[in-house]
Amino acid sequence: MSRKQLDHTLLGLVGLIVFALPLVVTSPTYLQILILLFFYAYLTTSWNLVGGFAGVLPLGHSVFVGIGAYTSTILTLQYGISPWIGMLVGGLVAALVGVIMGLPTFRLRGAYFCLCTIAFAEGIRVMVENIDNLGPLHINGPRGLLIPLKEPSFWHYQFMSKLPYYYIILVMLILVLALTWFISRSKIGYYLAAGGEEPEAAAALGVNVANTKLFAMALSCFLTALAGTFYAQLMLYFYPKGLMGLDLSFEIAFIALIGGRGTIAGPVIGALVLRPLNEFTRIYLSDMLPGLHLVIFGLILILVMLYKPQGLTAPLSAFYNRLADRLTGQGGAK
Amino acid sequence: MSNILEISNLSKHFGGLTAVSALDLTLAKGEILALIGPNGAGKSTVFNMVAGVYAPSEGDIRFNGRPVHREKPWDRCRMGIARTFQIVKPFASKTVLYNVMVGAYLRTNSTEKARHKAEEVLATLALDHLRDRPAANLTIADRKRLEIAKALATDPQLLLLDEVMAGLRPTEVDDMIAIIKGLRDQGVTVFVIEHIMRAVMALSDRVVVIHFGQKIAQGTPEEVTRDENVIKAYLGGEYGAA
Amino acid sequence: MTAVIQATLNGIMMGSMYGLTALGLTLIFGVMKVVNFAHGSLLMVGMFSGYWLIRLTGIHPYLALVIIPPILFVFGYFLQDVVIKPVFRAERHVREPSTVIIVTTGLWYMLDNLALMCFGAEYRTVRTAISNKSFALGQYIVSIPKFSGFVVAVLTAVGLALFMRKTKTGMALRATSLDREAANLMGIDQYKVYNIAFGLGTAIAGIAGCVLIPFYYVYPTVGVVFDIRAFIIVVLGGLGSIPGALLGGLVIGLVESVFSQFMASTWTEAIIYAIFLVILFVKPSGFFGHKQDW
Repeated sequence: MSRKQLDHTLLGLVGLIVFALPLVVTSPTYLQILILLFFYAYLTTSWNLVGGFAGVLPLGHSVFVGIGAYTSTILTLQYGISPWIGMLVGGLVAALVGVIMGLPTFRLRGAYFCLCTIAFAEGIRVMVENIDNLGPLHINGPRGLLIPLKEPSFWHYQFMSKLPYYYIILVMLILVLALTWFISRSKIGYYLAAGGEEPEAAAALGVNVANTKLFAMALSCFLTALAGTFYAQLMLYFYPKGLMGLDLSFEIAFIALIGGRGTIAGPVIGALVLRPLNEFTRIYLSDMLPGLHLVIFGLILILVMLYKPQGLTAPLSAFYNRLADRLTGQGGAK
Repeated sequence: MSNILEISNLSKHFGGLTAVSALDLTLAKGEILALIGPNGAGKSTVFNMVAGVYAPSEGDIRFNGRPVHREKPWDRCRMGIARTFQIVKPFASKTVLYNVMVGAYLRTNSTEKARHKAEEVLATLALDHLRDRPAANLTIADRKRLEIAKALATDPQLLLLDEVMAGLRPTEVDDMIAIIKGLRDQGVTVFVIEHIMRAVMALSDRVVVIHFGQKIAQGTPEEVTRDENVIKAYLGGEYGAA
Repeated sequence: MTAVIQATLNGIMMGSMYGLTALGLTLIFGVMKVVNFAHGSLLMVGMFSGYWLIRLTGIHPYLALVIIPPILFVFGYFLQDVVIKPVFRAERHVREPSTVIIVTTGLWYMLDNLALMCFGAEYRTVRTAISNKSFALGQYIVSIPKFSGFVVAVLTAVGLALFMRKTKTGMALRATSLDREAANLMGIDQYKVYNIAFGLGTAIAGIAGCVLIPFYYVYPTVGVVFDIRAFIIVVLGGLGSIPGALLGGLVIGLVESVFSQFMASTWTEAIIYAIFLVILFVKPSGFFGHKQDW
């Protein structure tokens, strides 16, 4: 069996398992944990388009999750528009905001860019928390928005069981991974990588670095907002501090960094390792030791950055490569 | 014969320092022109203005008759001006092929075509055996070739080579001279900054000498090396009278 | 009108303490060109240490001011040496070292949540000898702890400026901030300089923490607000500028205090962010910074 065949078979196997998992895992609690796992993996993969491929460090991305949630929810609550359409509108709004944010900030040096993303995100969050009504739109300030139960249907984006949600987020995750893979092999991917690594050299080769970064930003924000709508429809309630706060922004960035920014598997692996860790520490230890899960999170982050700044994917994929070469009898020649 | 590059009255001031002063220079299509001068004469500044990294304080630059001094570097590359950097800037974490493909993508959107073009360019520069090596793991001579390969993949009409001979051993210098001559045969006009006089003599059709930002001589390599002002500039006043 | 002038007085005093926080940060930022996102957490550590010291021994807050900063200097020195230096070393050729930002953010998380774990989330206060005391300035009231904070802030700034200008260590710090390679060639051990800068910055955060205890709530995430303010002030005042930090602090303190007379305090938050963004786009070098910091 060739190496390529092995890779494809394994991928297919993983896909099969993931799709068939709900047959085995039927408890709603565990399904919810899996759903949130995919949700975070999706968010981190979308973040990766800017934070990994474009080589900058946006630390305020949760604001786009919020924009997606608020847009689709307001459209549903006040105008009766289906959340699916609201989702797309939310994505476009987020892309627009992202580009407005990126235009002046991409030329700033690394640390200032980070601070700017934080300032923008917190600024918007603070404004949302302060506004009850924006013209005809009812935003409800810090109390957040509650989505009333409707007749469960696809059009209403509400379902009785967790199962449809599971498959929706799974399909979204697969699509976004495929998109990332495709981009990394295309002109825009090469241009992003070049502009991120050596902007002067890239410019001398015809790359408009600022524009490619803006494109990545718009795409990333669009995709991130879609997840915001998903979350709103899953939980039927959200509020500014929870969905647009720095905690979520940082968690997204950290997962990608620990997993390996700039790689395709990195964000997913990061989510696979960190989300269960977070959840279980929080569930079982939070009463005795509040905040322990975040201490551990911070510790892991520091350790990974000290010893494997490229992320966990690098050693893992090296290990996998050795194993795969051994299995397919292609050891040695590299 | 048409002029591919026309520089007139070009000046650049950095605060109180005048790096380049009232420079006039023309480059004919298919020529190899060398810009030489003592260290700090302003040569790289001239290149940076032609490439679009600095805006001129005065004067203008015309490429194929079109004024370009307001265009951004990536637009100039699109128009046909490519450059290398004196301190090479490879995309170190990527392979040699990847590096050149970035340049090749300028003229195509297809990954397949870009790869094909990159492979051709690598073959021209005898780098194809290194195509899968990370750029960070190359020798200095190979890095200089990669620098040229990247620029060449953009299909330029004018190639600016900034001290590509620096740091090379004599045999490597000879190889590089052959490569550059080969580029001219392919139809690329070449504008070099160079310190290695052997290369300048062997390569250039014409030479322009600048000192303290001003042109002090121009002509064939032989004419220029006999010019009294040039000798004074390089070696000091006592050597002037010949 | 009286309210506005009272607010102005309060704003100046509070602003000077914001400036004090920013002072430590601008030192670290200026010398090492590194973003220390954990600075607010270091302030929190200073506050909690001072809080426990005062609570357990009942000493006067001014005395705590003498005890806590040296301890924090050691803490900061140690943090830089053990946690941040290895990252620095690994990234010294990278044009945009971003891993340090990430590591300090991890530190922020760890410190804040360790405090949460150990002390719980309640907002604490402690009675000190000067809490709630004030004196009258004409028809206006000046709170003594805030006024002491103002005095300490100015003294610290002056002291730091003298240190940087007149002592050998100070000059080494300035040399490294201007050109670390040149400083290296002059025999200055840049990593030792970084340790000292970080220790000093942390000690100043400790000073800031101590002056806040008599009148400010102490809780694990208290650092976050100060952290973000400090960054805004550092940019406003100019990277590495001591007068800039104080001046920037005053501006922010004034804006916060005066504007909240006219609108909800959460809106003043948004205004401060807006000012920050405007500065970044219009004059990123701030009041006293240099253009080449960009």
